[in-house]
Amino acid sequence: MKINKTTIAFVAIIAAISVGFTGINKPKPIEIKIPSNFPDPVYDLKINPVTEEGFELGRKLFYETMLSRDSSVSCGSCHQQQAAFIQAGHNFSHGVGNKHGRRNSLPVFNALFNRTFFWDGGVHNLDMVPINPIENKLEMDEHIDEILLRLNNAALYRQLFKNAFSVDTISTKEFLQALSQFLAAMISADSRYDKYIRHEGVQLTPEELAGLQLFKMKCSSCHATDLFTDGSYRNNGITNDFRFDKGRAEITLNQNDKGKFKVPSLRNVEYTAPYMHTGSLETLEQVLEHYNSGIKESETLDSIFRNKDGVPRIALTPDEQKNIILFLKSLSDTAFINDKRFSEYK
Amino acid sequence: MKYPLIKIIAFGLIITALLSFVNPPKAKTNGTMVLKFNNLFNNQAVEFGKEYTNAHGEKLTLKTLNYFISNIKLTLKGGGEYVVPQDSCYFLVKQSDIGTQQIVLHNLPAAKYTAISFMVGIDSTRNTTDISRRTGTLDVGSTAKVMYWSWNSGYIFFKMEGQSPVIPDSAGNNFYYHIGGFGGFQSKTINNIRTKSISFNESVSNKNKIPVINIDVDVAALFNYKTPILLAKDPDVMWGELSVKISENYISTFNLGSIDYATATNSDK
Ligand code: HEC
Ligand code: HEC
Repeated sequence: MKINKTTIAFVAIIAAISVGFTGINKPKPIEIKIPSNFPDPVYDLKINPVTEEGFELGRKLFYETMLSRDSSVSCGSCHQQQAAFIQAGHNFSHGVGNKHGRRNSLPVFNALFNRTFFWDGGVHNLDMVPINPIENKLEMDEHIDEILLRLNNAALYRQLFKNAFSVDTISTKEFLQALSQFLAAMISADSRYDKYIRHEGVQLTPEELAGLQLFKMKCSSCHATDLFTDGSYRNNGITNDFRFDKGRAEITLNQNDKGKFKVPSLRNVEYTAPYMHTGSLETLEQVLEHYNSGIKESETLDSIFRNKDGVPRIALTPDEQKNIILFLKSLSDTAFINDKRFSEYK
Repeated sequence: MKYPLIKIIAFGLIITALLSFVNPPKAKTNGTMVLKFNNLFNNQAVEFGKEYTNAHGEKLTLKTLNYFISNIKLTLKGGGEYVVPQDSCYFLVKQSDIGTQQIVLHNLPAAKYTAISFMVGIDSTRNTTDISRRTGTLDVGSTAKVMYWSWNSGYIFFKMEGQSPVIPDSAGNNFYYHIGGFGGFQSKTINNIRTKSISFNESVSNKNKIPVINIDVDVAALFNYKTPILLAKDPDVMWGELSVKISENYISTFNLGSIDYATATNSDK
């Protein structure tokens, strides 16, 4: 092909146009690696691809107190990294005006694998999760439109949103997508257990392995897969007084769901005390003793706990309990809770 | 390179031209139709603050009246139906904003129509989708702000609020009917999605003119269509079984009023 002036001009124009379209400051994609021992993610990363700019913005928003009515609380106040993103030392989380919520906090990592959110499963899409704490009178007591106004009035945020989403005005969509990008990138999958199961050169101790075997027999029907939850709602007998909190039944209005709560993941459980939606158990020893001897009878109690002698329990000797706890601690991902990428300050 | 660039481009153009012959452009879609929602109480146009009496003799005033209209379909004369593209088919009608009471449907086939159907509410897909498909009317941080439950994620389909002397002072004399529920995500829950089909009783053409379909919404029926709802007994109905009775009552209130015609403007030539 003979290269003449017209061709050169033509190629130059095409090149100029494509540079114009891609933009010089195109956000840089971050690859979200799905751990090989995990199920497929639920959240659609193709619709909201994680980028460096979007993730950083999401992190900033997660630690932004401007999201609450009196600028006293951020997401990070109730989801603290050192406590694997729950509120340390509180059985009911503290929101604006030091008000107490009625449920114990849930960790926020591995959220892109969740089909539903919150103890009662009232929210079905990760993007919609932040609206719940933001609008809850006992948590942040604010409204999205008010937050958008504040963000749009802040030159820094306008610039950050422009970099991440190429928008001049911040709307609900970009605000929630930025938070979702931060949450979606928070994957905790590097515990000793993970490295053992993925054959990455880690061996569990004989006690931990014994605990794992017991766990598979006694616990994994609910705390299933390597997420350690099957995402279902169950009553594990932590209480039989449902006047205060009906759990899943508040969403389904089905009496058979009274007292059922979402099976929580047990990853990083060493750091997430107190336990259960009630926050009524302080230690893992108490949790195991609960399953062994503390289960409270009620109509919706999971049938798995029923025994021929009529006493609902999972019988566990002290040694068995000890080994299960050692196994549970092998699910601690210290790299994750110290990962500066997720911290308020780098 | 074997082929000069120009030849490749020319070849491409020819192919495109040929393809457009194989796929001739569809029937003209420059028709318009207007749906006008007229909120009434016992046949009188609704005014906030004005006193009304329901079928049970209870006096009341209204201060909020909003509802979602979506998933509009039109029946074509001689069979077939035209489905208004879903992405542009979510409308929030608010008594407080007269502009929202007229829904203008653009780019319809210029044709004769015999009936319409629409949802009062939002389909389950949009109730569970990610945020990118909840823009415009469905924006929970803007237009749909007061029409969304964040803890039990889903849109409020129909909202009517006001006051009545039969409700105790301690409750501010206030009543609240917030009706939603799309049927549930993992487990079955309340489903208050109601679809209304309305026959035009005649054939309505939008060729060279714009039909204005008046839909009368007499909300007095909310208190007394299938199930009597007493303000004194049930002043607050939100997420509960009774909401199903209320949606059954209010869907009956969407009825055909008059059909008028407006002259087509230049943009609708
Ligand atoms: C006042 C404390 C508080 C604040 C502030 C708060 N949360 Fe939470 N968060 C909780 C509690 C408590 C739960 C569990 C409550 C429940 O399930 O009903 C929870 C649950 C969650 C979950 C669900 C996890 C799961 O697996 O179901 C996510 C995700 C989450 N919060 C993210 C956020 C984000 C993002 C923000 C900021 C916009 C935020 N939270 C602000 C207390 C808080
Ligand atoms: C029938 C299903 C089921 C079985 C079997 C089960 N669990 Fe649970 N587990 C749950 C549910 C549901 C919760 C949350 C209950 C609540 O808060 O109301 C829970 C909570 C927990 C918690 C607290 C987690 C937190 O962050 O608060 C731990 C720890 C735990 N289970 C460990 C175990 C162990 C160990 C076993 C086996 C001995 C076991 N579970 C067996 C359903 C089950």
